[in-house]
Amino acid sequence: MGVTRPRRDEGARVRLREVAGRVQPLTLAQERLLPVAEPLRELLPGGGLRRGTVVSVEGTGATGATSLAFTLAAAATETGEWAAAVALSDTLGMEAASEVGVALERFPVVRHVPPDRWATVVAALLDGITLVVAEVPRRVRAGDVRRLTARARERDAVLVALPPPGATWAGDAALRITSEGGTWTGATHDGGPVTGRALRVRVGGRGEAARHRVGALARTG
Amino acid sequence: MGKRHGTGWERSPAPGDVDPERTLVCWCPAWAVSTARRADPSLAQVPVAVVERGARGQVVCAVSSEARAEGITIGIRRREAEARGAGLVVVDRDPAAEARVFETVARAMEPITPAVVLERPGVLSFSTRGPARYFGGDEQLAGRVVDAAGEAGASDARVGIADGTFAARLATRAAGPERVLVVAPGTTAAFLAPWPVAVLGQTFGDRPDDGAAFADLLTRLGLRTLGDLAALPAPAVLGRFGLDGARAHRLAGGSSEHSTPPASPPPDLVETCELDPPATRVDEAAFAAKTLADHLIERLDVLGLACDRVVVEAETEHGERHARCWRHEGGLTAAALVARVRWQLDAWLVHPNGARSECDHQLGGLTLLRLAPDRVVPAAMRQLGFWGGDAAAHDRAARVLARLQGMLGHESVATAIVGGGRAPSERIRWVPWGEPRDEACPGPAPWPGAIPGPAPARVLGEPVPAELLDERGEAVCVSGRGDASAAPTMLHCAALPGGGGVVVGWAGPWPHDLRWWDHLRRRRRALWQLVVRGDVHDTGDDGGVACLVAVEGGRAALEAVYD
Repeated sequence: MGVTRPRRDEGARVRLREVAGRVQPLTLAQERLLPVAEPLRELLPGGGLRRGTVVSVEGTGATGATSLAFTLAAAATETGEWAAAVALSDTLGMEAASEVGVALERFPVVRHVPPDRWATVVAALLDGITLVVAEVPRRVRAGDVRRLTARARERDAVLVALPPPGATWAGDAALRITSEGGTWTGATHDGGPVTGRALRVRVGGRGEAARHRVGALARTG
Repeated sequence: MGKRHGTGWERSPAPGDVDPERTLVCWCPAWAVSTARRADPSLAQVPVAVVERGARGQVVCAVSSEARAEGITIGIRRREAEARGAGLVVVDRDPAAEARVFETVARAMEPITPAVVLERPGVLSFSTRGPARYFGGDEQLAGRVVDAAGEAGASDARVGIADGTFAARLATRAAGPERVLVVAPGTTAAFLAPWPVAVLGQTFGDRPDDGAAFADLLTRLGLRTLGDLAALPAPAVLGRFGLDGARAHRLAGGSSEHSTPPASPPPDLVETCELDPPATRVDEAAFAAKTLADHLIERLDVLGLACDRVVVEAETEHGERHARCWRHEGGLTAAALVARVRWQLDAWLVHPNGARSECDHQLGGLTLLRLAPDRVVPAAMRQLGFWGGDAAAHDRAARVLARLQGMLGHESVATAIVGGGRAPSERIRWVPWGEPRDEACPGPAPWPGAIPGPAPARVLGEPVPAELLDERGEAVCVSGRGDASAAPTMLHCAALPGGGGVVVGWAGPWPHDLRWWDHLRRRRRALWQLVVRGDVHDTGDDGGVACLVAVEGGRAALEAVYD
């Protein structure tokens, strides 16, 4: 009769609790992160994008903000999630998006969005899509900004705001990523094409991100 | 499970249950026999069996009451039927004629309700919500339907009203000599409970064999009636019998077939086809319908939706519009949809045999054919995408995108495909959301003159005029051989930050001679890749702006920016 019954005494329970604490998922669903690919990962608190937050990607024009936004979108599509973009004009270079790893079949783009319906479109996308890259019009109502932030939190989605060059996202952002440009490599007077650039990136924001981090990314396009 | 027997229909409500719509079903028994008798009046009062060619050879699919009295039943073979009944007349089945003649019955229902849904020739249904109130109750409505069907020639039609099509269909079978059975609201589960599980077989649509096997399995497990099945907990049924089982369980308990309430489909999910010249023969129109049906099913598939009711619409040369809604048990497949469209076209285009001549006028040819899903439900049992896509995430995204397409237009939501081409703007193809992404073309074809290196993150749809100047302040030109007049030193463009500046690095020019074989559309241009540093760059940016500038006909324009 070698049947050993599970021990039910207090000591066993304490040990069980301790083991349970060790094996439970490290992050709760609320804190789920979208892991971001390597060079940018070291700069982001937690190494990824926290779902339910707003990330603002800013730059002064042609300093790499669009590429950074694509990199963040790639973080979503690489894990099988969906990302989408809201384009006010029609200038997003999708080939560049595909080069940084965005799965284009899971990256629909809403093009030619009239500015007066911008907030409606972004809100609708946040309802069903994990990460939304939104070009922000020059003028946005403060109420819309608040509502979109709330919508992202409620739906557990990430809103990547891409304000026009030189402008900043008017609302509260968990992460503010500023792209400061960098020197192009390969561009010379003898006719060699550009091969990439070392992008300087500044990460700020709330909470853990409040401590500014500056880093260089070897990014392309 | 203490409550398996006894009050078997008190089932635990599952969270996904949807209350079914109160439905009237009108069933004309042995419709195939009625059709055959209309075509050949000499068959009246004679034992008739209609045979259909199936996997087992010729099998009886409908029998007249006289033939049944001689022991001929549905499902036996032709030879056996002939052996049993001496004076039996055997007729081949003609589904097109059945649909054609049934159309007159469907038309007779139109004064009662506009929303007639055909299930198959011989069975139609509609929601009683409006008509029952108008005619003063379910019984009155049922009486009117029986009268209307009788006037249209279906003198033995039976009517059942219950919560849900399944129960109403069974009510027609249970209707006695008065030919009407109304199951009071809320008592549908009790009405269903004593029925044997074999009746579930008919809900399997195109898979009658699966249905029979499922019913047989339930019987062998000791679940003999719908009440027995309904008494089981829903999760256990789902776990043991899968999605078909869960559906049968919902039906047996008197709730809706679908676990989610059906939604109206996205508005542009309509397939239209113009017929020029107008189709006057069924096979002409049916050929067009086949393409439409395939498209529709494909698009529904992409959206992760299934459709159980579809409206077939046609316009004639005389400007008349005809529409008829068809429902199919267990979701419409392309083949089932085509069959229904074909029947319907038959009903419209061919003069119904034996129909009263005054109600029917000769139609002209059909000029337009349209298929519109009437109700859609999320397709269950969708397979995970090969690339690890999550079906739930896909469905959610698809719903949102379809909504946006309804708001902003079909073209405004699109996914991109990187294809072949030289300039960045030529390499992208946009596919409106919902249309098949056909990625076959990109191919590794060499594109001489394509810009190497990373792709620009901003590609201007409409190039912005720019000024590309050399040292002496003259515009840089590119000769027909691709030689530049001078090295570029300055670029001015309104779209660049700081308005442009000094060229600190350049590559190119890449001459593009596009469509040289076509005199009218030939374009010759050259692309420059430039790194420009603003003179007054307030940000202290030292890296410069990389961009692509096209020179065409002596004029420069900004094409793309590396952002």
